[in-house]
Amino acid sequence: MQVRESEFIKRKKPLLKKLAARLSEQYPFVSLLATDSRAKSYMVSRRNTAVREDELLTARGFVAKISDGKHYAEYSFNQISEDLLDEICTQIEQTVLLSKNAVPEGMTENDYLFSEQNVASEENIVFSGSTEYEIDPEEMGDDVILKQLSEIKNRGLDVSERILDCSVLCNYQKYSKLFLSGRKELEQNVMWMTGAISLAAPRGEEIKDYYRGFSNLGGAEVLAQMKNGVEECAHITLELLDSAPMIPGEYDCICAPDVTGMIVHEAFGHGVEMDMFVKKRALAEQFLGQYVASELVTMHDGASAASQTATYFFDDEGTMAQDTVIIEKGILKQGICDLQSALALRTAPTGNGRRESYKRKAYTRMTNTYFEGGSNTKEEMIASVSYGFLLENASSGMEDPKNWGIQCMVNIAREIRDGKLTGRIFSPIVLTGYVPDLLKSISMMSEEVTLGGGGFCGKGYKEWVKVSDGGPYIKAKIRLG
Amino acid sequence: MIERIKNSLKKIEIADYTIHEMKQESVECFFIRRNLDVKRRTNLLEYTVTVFCPFEKMEEELSVEEKLSMEKEHFMEGEHSMEEEPSMEVAAGKKKMLGSSSVQLYPEMDEEEITTAIQSAYHAASFVENPWYELVSGTAEEFVPSSGTLAGHSPEENMKKMSEALFAAEENCGESVFLNSTEIFSKRIVRRIVNSRGVDVSYETCEVFGEYVVQCVEPQDVETYHDFSYRDLDTEALRKDVEEALEMTQSRARAFSAPAAGTYRVILSGEQMRTFFQYYVSRSGSGMIYQKYSSYRIGTQVQGENVRGDSLTITLKAVEPYSHEGIPMKDRPLVDNGVLTTIHGDSRFAYYLGIEPTGNYRGISVPVGSTPLSQMKTEAYLHIISFSDFQMDSFSGHFGGEIRLAFLYNGDTVTPVTGGSVNGSIMEVQGNMVFSKERYKNGNYEGPFAVSLEGVQVAGV
Repeated sequence: MQVRESEFIKRKKPLLKKLAARLSEQYPFVSLLATDSRAKSYMVSRRNTAVREDELLTARGFVAKISDGKHYAEYSFNQISEDLLDEICTQIEQTVLLSKNAVPEGMTENDYLFSEQNVASEENIVFSGSTEYEIDPEEMGDDVILKQLSEIKNRGLDVSERILDCSVLCNYQKYSKLFLSGRKELEQNVMWMTGAISLAAPRGEEIKDYYRGFSNLGGAEVLAQMKNGVEECAHITLELLDSAPMIPGEYDCICAPDVTGMIVHEAFGHGVEMDMFVKKRALAEQFLGQYVASELVTMHDGASAASQTATYFFDDEGTMAQDTVIIEKGILKQGICDLQSALALRTAPTGNGRRESYKRKAYTRMTNTYFEGGSNTKEEMIASVSYGFLLENASSGMEDPKNWGIQCMVNIAREIRDGKLTGRIFSPIVLTGYVPDLLKSISMMSEEVTLGGGGFCGKGYKEWVKVSDGGPYIKAKIRLG
Repeated sequence: MIERIKNSLKKIEIADYTIHEMKQESVECFFIRRNLDVKRRTNLLEYTVTVFCPFEKMEEELSVEEKLSMEKEHFMEGEHSMEEEPSMEVAAGKKKMLGSSSVQLYPEMDEEEITTAIQSAYHAASFVENPWYELVSGTAEEFVPSSGTLAGHSPEENMKKMSEALFAAEENCGESVFLNSTEIFSKRIVRRIVNSRGVDVSYETCEVFGEYVVQCVEPQDVETYHDFSYRDLDTEALRKDVEEALEMTQSRARAFSAPAAGTYRVILSGEQMRTFFQYYVSRSGSGMIYQKYSSYRIGTQVQGENVRGDSLTITLKAVEPYSHEGIPMKDRPLVDNGVLTTIHGDSRFAYYLGIEPTGNYRGISVPVGSTPLSQMKTEAYLHIISFSDFQMDSFSGHFGGEIRLAFLYNGDTVTPVTGGSVNGSIMEVQGNMVFSKERYKNGNYEGPFAVSLEGVQVAGV
């Protein structure tokens, strides 16, 4: 089944075209993005049940972006009618004047030389596309979804009386977007759905917890994946009760695909977001064409690079989705780029201009980001380690594009001695180091590639967008603490 | 719009609801170095409606967990029992439940669309099997204007004054250190909360907040990240913060190596303090306690029984006049000399615990200690100025992160260091914390500038 178009956007489209035409009389470049997005989340735990529309992901509104030929201005609003067109145009004029009224005197404005040639370089495109799903969560119904989550919760709790709680949640977003500019009329309708199982068990005052995410580009078919994982999650939570603090040091490590994904995304991906190149904040710019990783490593990002939660047909600036090869056999080939940064850098955008919602600015953002697979098996990789750790269950990470420092938090390190898992586990773990050192130390990669799209990505500490990341099992030398 | 929403609620006979209205106007400026890169403006009007659906459930259908949930916990002296609650009286063998669900509404929706959306939310609420609880009651109150000095000025005026202060800070520093990029948001928001139990309150908040990245190119090219949030037109405080950030980044540029792995007396300070104390705020939340993620009770000695360092006192600060449910917010003592005095949270979990609902708090204040920072630094220490992302896990009590800049004193010399990571446990250090005499204020935190912690594990070279 295909995700249906938004009746709201369909109804407002003629008016938006009229607004675009009016603004085009005054400004050489005008684009309008209309969004109609609905997201619902469900959660069941031992003593709590919740259903609500997700305030971050549910939104209905518009953003107008204009250039006066050199400078950009944006206006976000959520009401439009014939009567309001004059007011919207006035607000946009007021926005243009912010460079005079709202910043220190004498401050200059970045000149994007947004000439007719730039506009002319935009292709003429009319596009309409929808993603597919098997089960519509809205048709499935709230009662059925909650019942399925409750069953999973009960199976988790039944594993042991030592399990304090088993929270099971899922959410979906169904969104439609319309992008209009002088040469583009693009429409897309997309749905993704994610789920998560989170278990907790007490160890004195300390609560040890374990989290596993599930995701797909599609609908409630993700619930079937969740049913098969809960008992294993509960047993891992119980294992954490016997975990020890990590002994700091540099070790041979095997990273599970979710940990690989966090390294790909946090440690390297943020550093190739090219709005960072414009600000001279990314060390990666100096390494284009050079080895930054082992020859085993080929890295992709793109909304069309995989079928996951960050898959779409066009970005929030009207650039069509792409599959960008960032690292090819260890050599840094290119970054990812939004439209405005591409203009500043005189390069081509890669379809990575994304907004948290119509209310926020567009930045260069990752989408589906991953390493290609290799030729080893997980078992071969573990057998190759004399002393080290199998790292699992990535929890969070932070980017450092300027200095390529790593901060990744992982929940579980399983001890490996003489090529075998000993059964001892350590938790929690902080991964640190210098990104190229880690990537160049990659010596083995498993064949199978897994992507997970359960999380969101921030730019610094805000601007949350849905992403997926992953890759194969990798073997590397990593400093753990 | 609120009347249209009420009409729909009435039409479909929904007795209990809460309506939130949010009107926002903002101006937003994005700078690269001293150049304006993008300018934005927003004008938004949004509505969130939460509907509550009461229903009954046969006792034999209740799960063990639901039966446990029905038993009111004992956290305060003199609390009433569930059986004494008249509104809980239902037919024998049945228990009363209350489900809820929320939906977003938009100003351009007609009454039919509003009704359909609310009906859908009410349908969802009928499957949310939470034990019954009392909703917040209140009256219509006067509009509360913003008390900060940003009020009375347009977002443009506030943007101009605060951006002038921010950029003025870098005028007297050398060419090697500068503001690489800056984002400033100047917002005026008016919120109104109306519910079916008489609450009708509204208030204004005016805020200037944002973030900036400082770059220093000599002797090595580094950057540091900083954020800020003000409800007063405190240009002097912002200028001073930026000056300190510029100075700190110059120190970061002189840090080349990571500390040796080992156990250190660690000093945390500045922006890390709010996150560090968040452990106690989270553990004393009614949701954490009701769900048994926290064992805190009124009277719990939160630092343990053997406190060798400073005793902790925390006050919850009301930064907005009403909670999201319309509960009037006021400052409340949370911890007094290491003893928990308040369990805080919204109406549902408070009802289950038999305590007063307080609303959810974002601000805290902590009294400063008696030890000057200079005295803290007379013996060996690792003073961490900046992490890449300092984290505190309120479940496990583990805290840490990658070190971006720290000063290492080995008893002889002070060396700036970078790299490696901290991996500590608050349960192991909280009995021996020492708070600085120096005060620090930023956003929703006011308290000691620094805390000294013994025996913290550091992963280094």
